[in-house]
Amino acid sequence: MTATMAARHGPRFWWASYRAMLRFDLINLRSIIVSTFVVQLLLGAGMAYIYGFYLGKLSAPAATFMVTGIPALAIIPIGMVMVPSTVMMLKFTDTYDYIWSLPPPRLVAAASTLTVFTFLAIPATVASLWIADVRYDVSLHMSLAVVPAMLLVSLMATSVGYALGHGVPDPRITNLITNLIIFFILLFSPLVIPLDYFPGWAAAGHQVLPFYHMAVVLRASLTEGIVENVTASYLVLTAWTVGSWAIAAAVIGRRH
Amino acid sequence: MTSVAAAAGVPTKRSGVGHWLDTYRAMLRWEVTGMRLLLPLTVVVQVLIGAGMIVGIAVLFHGIPSRNALFLSTGAAVVTLITVGIVVGPQLVAQQKQMGTYDFVWSLPVPRSAAASAWITLNVLIALPGMVVALLVALVRFDIDLDVSLSVVPAVALTVFCGTLVGYAMAHAIPKPEVTDGIAQVALFTVIGFSPINFPPENMPGWLASLHRYLPFESMANVVRAGLTEGIVHDLARSYAVLAIWSVGCMALTAWALRRH
Repeated sequence: MTATMAARHGPRFWWASYRAMLRFDLINLRSIIVSTFVVQLLLGAGMAYIYGFYLGKLSAPAATFMVTGIPALAIIPIGMVMVPSTVMMLKFTDTYDYIWSLPPPRLVAAASTLTVFTFLAIPATVASLWIADVRYDVSLHMSLAVVPAMLLVSLMATSVGYALGHGVPDPRITNLITNLIIFFILLFSPLVIPLDYFPGWAAAGHQVLPFYHMAVVLRASLTEGIVENVTASYLVLTAWTVGSWAIAAAVIGRRH
Repeated sequence: MTSVAAAAGVPTKRSGVGHWLDTYRAMLRWEVTGMRLLLPLTVVVQVLIGAGMIVGIAVLFHGIPSRNALFLSTGAAVVTLITVGIVVGPQLVAQQKQMGTYDFVWSLPVPRSAAASAWITLNVLIALPGMVVALLVALVRFDIDLDVSLSVVPAVALTVFCGTLVGYAMAHAIPKPEVTDGIAQVALFTVIGFSPINFPPENMPGWLASLHRYLPFESMANVVRAGLTEGIVHDLARSYAVLAIWSVGCMALTAWALRRH
């Protein structure tokens, strides 16, 4: 790289840039890594307790349904809040343009951010599930499907958050949208409440939105006999992931 | 009256009630103008929070017992009042710090009490629509009887006042805006999830219920609920006392932080 100019294309350059950007992203993250873990626990395990405060005593099936919705709930604050607010902070502190001026291809930088946050979300998600399980004492049947389910759900959430952070020009609006997402997900939670409880139009909306499907694929991997069909849910989640990539690519590929 | 003196280059008097009121009005105009794009949106968000909580939590219940419905209906109104001061306020101050307007605002020749009063007024403007809409939605959604008395006026005023001061103290005493932002989020979470505002305190573990006797949130809910209902609130004097102590404490903390600044 030093004396002769290295070629700035080809798979080897991409791979080297990807690793460099991973390092860059990880170093940038070190100050927020503890707080993200705490926030995830609050929204995951914390919500398991809160639903109990609101509802009083729960029946065994209701408790199982609720506990298996908790991992999806714990993933949302990383992908849909932390990721857009990280982008927002870059805009506030004017490092946004700096990052795009770095030599790595922009899509490599994006891939690195998506990778880091997808994996960052996992530990607290598992911890939340464990805490909720202990609190309500439900019996789970975990299968290997939990691995692809968790990775896809986390990647989808991170991708949507990334598209949101880059696609919305005013960071204050981004902030508002992330607050609204959290609020509506916690309240009108299709993650921990069966869809039949919702009015028809809301249930229909949740067939299109990603949130309900996040819970479905995770619940299917944690239980037996509660979830019948996961194919549609996997498809919807994949569509949201790819759609977000398209939006993000369009925005960050544009030059100022 | 100031224009003549100002035109003559004479420094105007910077004390007295007249000066205070002038600067209060100027600061209020400054805050409202600064938020002119965000203000309607923030009000809408508050309205959505209040109304959304009632509709959303009712989905959780699938047939809500009447005592819970009464707690939830009045609680949602209280949450909208608290969140403006404790959540929206600190976030706005944090943004001022990030954008660098914070130092400018505090360098203005304005008494700090006037600036703080303007801020509280702005919070009332943002909070009230949310509260009213939340109550209306509750009346439509649930079959409940509210018993509104005049004591709701001082109760709402003290709740917004105290909440705003708590948020204000937090925003000014903590130098790092990111930390303030984080605490504001946790505060929102505590208010909605871990405070006996929307649900009766007996649903919580005993130690948490006792802790809330000293925190301001349950007291805020108590005073407002007492103004809206009949017979579910006891120990009202204690709640007013708790709120008064928190307000004075936060005022002192803010004053200390600003002096140091």
